[in-house]
Amino acid sequence: MSISMASFSPPPTSFSVKPHFTHKSTLFLPLKRPFLFVSTPKVLPDNGARGSASVAAVEDPKPKQPDPVLEEAVEGSSGPKGAATSSEVEVLGKFEDPRWIGGTWDLKQFQKHGSTDWDAVIDAEVRRRKWLQDNPETTSNDNPVVFDTSIIPWWAWMKRFHLPEAELVNGRAAMIGFFMAYLVDSLTGVGLVDQMGNFFCKTLLFVAVVGVLLIRKNEDFDNIKKLIEETTFYDKQWQATWQDDTNSKNN
Amino acid sequence: MSSIAFKPFTGLRRSSAVPTTTNTTPSKPVIKFHVSAAKTSPKLSNRDLRVAVIGGGPAGGAAAETLAKGGIETFLIERKLDNCKPCGGAIPLCMVGEFDLPLDIIDRRVTKMKMISPSNIAVDIGQTLKPHEYIGMVRREVLDAYLRDRAKENGANVINGLFLKMDMPKHWDEPYVLHYTEYDGKKGAMGEKVTLEVDAVIGADGANSRVAKAINAGDYDYAIAFQERIKIPDDKMVYYENLAEMYVGDDVSPDFYGWVFPKCDHVAVGTGTVTHKSDIKKFQLATRNRAKDKILGGKIIRVEAHPIPEHPRPRRLSGRVALVGDAAGYVTKCSGEGIYFAAKSGRMCAEAIVEGSQNGKKMVDEGDLRKYLEKWDKTYWPTYKVLDVLQKVFYRSNPAREAFVEMCADEYVQKMTFNSYLYKTVAPGNPLEDLKLAVNTIGSLVRANALRKEMEKLNI
Repeated sequence: MSISMASFSPPPTSFSVKPHFTHKSTLFLPLKRPFLFVSTPKVLPDNGARGSASVAAVEDPKPKQPDPVLEEAVEGSSGPKGAATSSEVEVLGKFEDPRWIGGTWDLKQFQKHGSTDWDAVIDAEVRRRKWLQDNPETTSNDNPVVFDTSIIPWWAWMKRFHLPEAELVNGRAAMIGFFMAYLVDSLTGVGLVDQMGNFFCKTLLFVAVVGVLLIRKNEDFDNIKKLIEETTFYDKQWQATWQDDTNSKNN
Repeated sequence: MSSIAFKPFTGLRRSSAVPTTTNTTPSKPVIKFHVSAAKTSPKLSNRDLRVAVIGGGPAGGAAAETLAKGGIETFLIERKLDNCKPCGGAIPLCMVGEFDLPLDIIDRRVTKMKMISPSNIAVDIGQTLKPHEYIGMVRREVLDAYLRDRAKENGANVINGLFLKMDMPKHWDEPYVLHYTEYDGKKGAMGEKVTLEVDAVIGADGANSRVAKAINAGDYDYAIAFQERIKIPDDKMVYYENLAEMYVGDDVSPDFYGWVFPKCDHVAVGTGTVTHKSDIKKFQLATRNRAKDKILGGKIIRVEAHPIPEHPRPRRLSGRVALVGDAAGYVTKCSGEGIYFAAKSGRMCAEAIVEGSQNGKKMVDEGDLRKYLEKWDKTYWPTYKVLDVLQKVFYRSNPAREAFVEMCADEYVQKMTFNSYLYKTVAPGNPLEDLKLAVNTIGSLVRANALRKEMEKLNI
């Protein structure tokens, strides 16, 4: 066991996960010696129970949902330490949720007032992806994952993600717009209706709208500059052999 | 007249052509008329043109064959004739036809692929393939040896030697002097130092090309590909009979993908990266973890790694020395495919030399070799650019990869992808379908990014 622990590389990452979650978790889990089992010589030590603490924290904001993984984790971590229990440890490591059936979300279990609660589906998928990001799992031919985010209708996405941000941005734009209209009026005496008729003002308005759409945070400036550079970088690398040519001509 | 059409290139010829003093050489006053180079280059009176091909991989083998067929005295210098190169080993369908490869070289025909996203969403692609279409999996030692032997049959001299350095000619009509160590069974392991005079050189010696160093070709960014060959139990091997897998995710690689490719009787599991080379072992572990169920019980029989160029070298040509294949940096982004492009560039360069020298009867010059570069860039630039864009868009981050896998489920995408991969042409599709595809892509990206933002909220 100690030898296999020595050869096992990722414990640092698992322990870095710990501080984020334990202070949030109301349930104390005897924290994780990573579980190692050697299924065949030379292949793949695995740490099945590594993610149990992260599940605890994730489950926390939604206490009303059943918690099969957590219960099993509590059992498992206090359980056996040897290689003999490889099958139990394997089950612990996988993402489990009663509504996740056959590699996709069972929409029938997401019913609310007779129609599907898409917000809950989105939440469930977010939790699943978070779990898998922290604890990458093996794929399996017997239980393939076939979930496709496009089964969630477009208006559910709009309502949840686009509308709040749109409200924020429009609100800011309205406040700035009102203030600028007042400022221009006080400085030049041109009223709102006349401002809208002026070409210069219309251009400014266009620039302002585009600017607000593209640049939401300070980092966006640099991001856009980097993007523009990126789009032409590969071309430059290919043209380098021709560049050489014209330089020597100019010499 | 035609000097205007060739304006960008006369500059180099002007600088390499030594001024008036060489005009007094017995050969014709060539310098002024370099524009239509082949017609006025000096005829080689008593011999054929001599060309050395350094490196005996697909690029070298293809180049040597074309040169030999064109009547040129060819020397193919390869340091290890039984080299078992670490390589994915995938060749597109068009290569079989274009290079007349016998079908028994191909160990497996992959007709199905599985793309697996970071959250293990698996998508099968390959339903749109016609019955005669496949991706061929070859063993490099078999393919390379076959191409070299064919070159030998056509008259090339295959030399087992290690290229050391090259003396550049001081005058344009002097030969290149190659220094190499010849390995001959009799002399033992040390080999003896030999020099060889040739008129032109094709550098096909791979990612760590010495020819490239000799001509100051410059450096390129490169990825490290790390691969383990694993022999898995027969019942698990059935699954990989004609299926290859591609795993994407931050755990597997931050800027590339992990793969499981079937080979003759085992699978190759590997991954690669450009930006995080020191973490390659971690990525390999993660790749094996993701495929764990399917390779359980397997034994690692070989571990190998090799560099993959990410873009062409700044200079692919100098004087009468040209680079082809990996030495030039002709590996595509996104898929990391290099065998076909190596062979094709070797052939194209050789064709340019054969044409420029009129089947070995005249001296070539840089302009003839430039034609190969022109043709190459014109033919394959769209392919490279499209793959570069795909890599930049879809390998950026986990949401992008999720969107990528989602998009692969679309039949139109599969059709376009396979057509362009198997036949190496970027064919314009149906504009309406393209528009739908663009909308769907943006939709997938937006959804995946929205989910990721929610995931970040969970962290806090």
